[in-house]
Amino acid sequence: MQHKKNTLINPIVIITFGVVLIAIAIVTGYQSGSNNSDGNTSQIIVAFVTGLTTGGLSCLAVQGGLLASSLAHQVEQDYTLKTTSKKKEKANSKFNSALPISLFLIAKLIAYTLLGALLGWLGSYFTFNPVTRATLLIFIGIFMIGNALRIFNVHPIFRYFSVEPPKFVTRMIRKTAKGTDTATPIFLGVLTVFIPCGITQTMMATALGTGSVLMGAALMFAFTLGTSPVFFAIAYLTTELGAKLEKFFMRFVAVVLLILGFVTLDSGLNIIGSPYSIQNLTRTWFSPQPLVEAPLSQSSIEQSQPTSEDEITLYVQNQGYFPETLKAPAGKNLKLNLVTDGVYSCALAFLIPDLDFYQMLPPIGTVQVDIPTQEAGSTLYFTCSMGMYTGQIVFQ
Amino acid sequence: MIKKTYKIPDMTCTNCAMKLESLEDSLEGVKEINASYHKLEMTIEYDDTKLTEEQILTAVKKKGYTAIAL
Repeated sequence: MQHKKNTLINPIVIITFGVVLIAIAIVTGYQSGSNNSDGNTSQIIVAFVTGLTTGGLSCLAVQGGLLASSLAHQVEQDYTLKTTSKKKEKANSKFNSALPISLFLIAKLIAYTLLGALLGWLGSYFTFNPVTRATLLIFIGIFMIGNALRIFNVHPIFRYFSVEPPKFVTRMIRKTAKGTDTATPIFLGVLTVFIPCGITQTMMATALGTGSVLMGAALMFAFTLGTSPVFFAIAYLTTELGAKLEKFFMRFVAVVLLILGFVTLDSGLNIIGSPYSIQNLTRTWFSPQPLVEAPLSQSSIEQSQPTSEDEITLYVQNQGYFPETLKAPAGKNLKLNLVTDGVYSCALAFLIPDLDFYQMLPPIGTVQVDIPTQEAGSTLYFTCSMGMYTGQIVFQ
Repeated sequence: MIKKTYKIPDMTCTNCAMKLESLEDSLEGVKEINASYHKLEMTIEYDDTKLTEEQILTAVKKKGYTAIAL
């Protein structure tokens, strides 16, 4: 269904920017109001930014069909009206997809916030250890890569990465989508909780891991709010500009999904301390200095020299761990000093998988970790609990 | 009542299957339609005194897909 646009400046652009600005204001408000919080704020910001940058596309790939169902009937009616009505009537019959998309997204936002609260409540009954989280991330990463390859139609096997909802659900959605009233997109928005995308599932797992009703709800709210502008803009454009652009956008979504899939998979591998994660492999390939005792850069030398004979220091910053590669003497017990100074990123959630060590570091201060004797030539990998920031200690 | 299965090679997502299943509501004489994106197939159970194969193929085409009888 091709629609020609009648106006140059569409109100939807203003609404989209409005939603973005409101969202930024909310997040900024959170940030300024809780500078001393222990990472909850940063988790909410990360959730929002994840939604804003990637979640929208990923969700659209999975849930776009539901929104399309919501709009299809109305667009179809509008199109029929346009093609059959007289010229004057045509001007008044322009279907405005902004309202149903908005209702769909608002319903989705509320539904996911409630889901977050429920997950947080459930999470208070059990804990997510790094290995479980890593397994989940690896699984989700593979799921995302599979979905990207499915969109690219690489092989029929990848079609199985798309979850087919049960017949009774599709029947219910179909019956609902037939309606042209405001309740239709609202109900379909709520139904999206049954078909979460890979990134949403990751966020749901994170909400579960918070073990708090409020935090779970806040996290899912921030994430879903973040997904809304992209979801809105693309859904609106594809509705308005037709199937050709949808195809283009789906390919774009596939590329983003593919990248995100590898990033997620890599995060999972980092969390279990695998030397085969992209970050750890590239560090070994492209920064071989510590392994062959070549001189480090001046700043790295200063930072990586043992503070005393049995102590090494790692600087935890908002952008990660510095230096990324620490040299340490083999064959003796060591103390690792983790120094933070005004850090609020997820780098605070420090993890050494092989030692089964995990600690949420204070934003300012020093935490000392006992490192047991390691053999010469061995490597201990460390990472943040999300697998984003990584580093290694090489024993010589 | 007869049951027939068609290959639908141009399905691209699970929503396509949902679209095809929606023919249940618009085609007279259809008892049930099961479409699978995984298999790229659609199985239709219908009353052949009320509906012809040609009508089915046309309806599928109207939805934007091609049905090939198996």
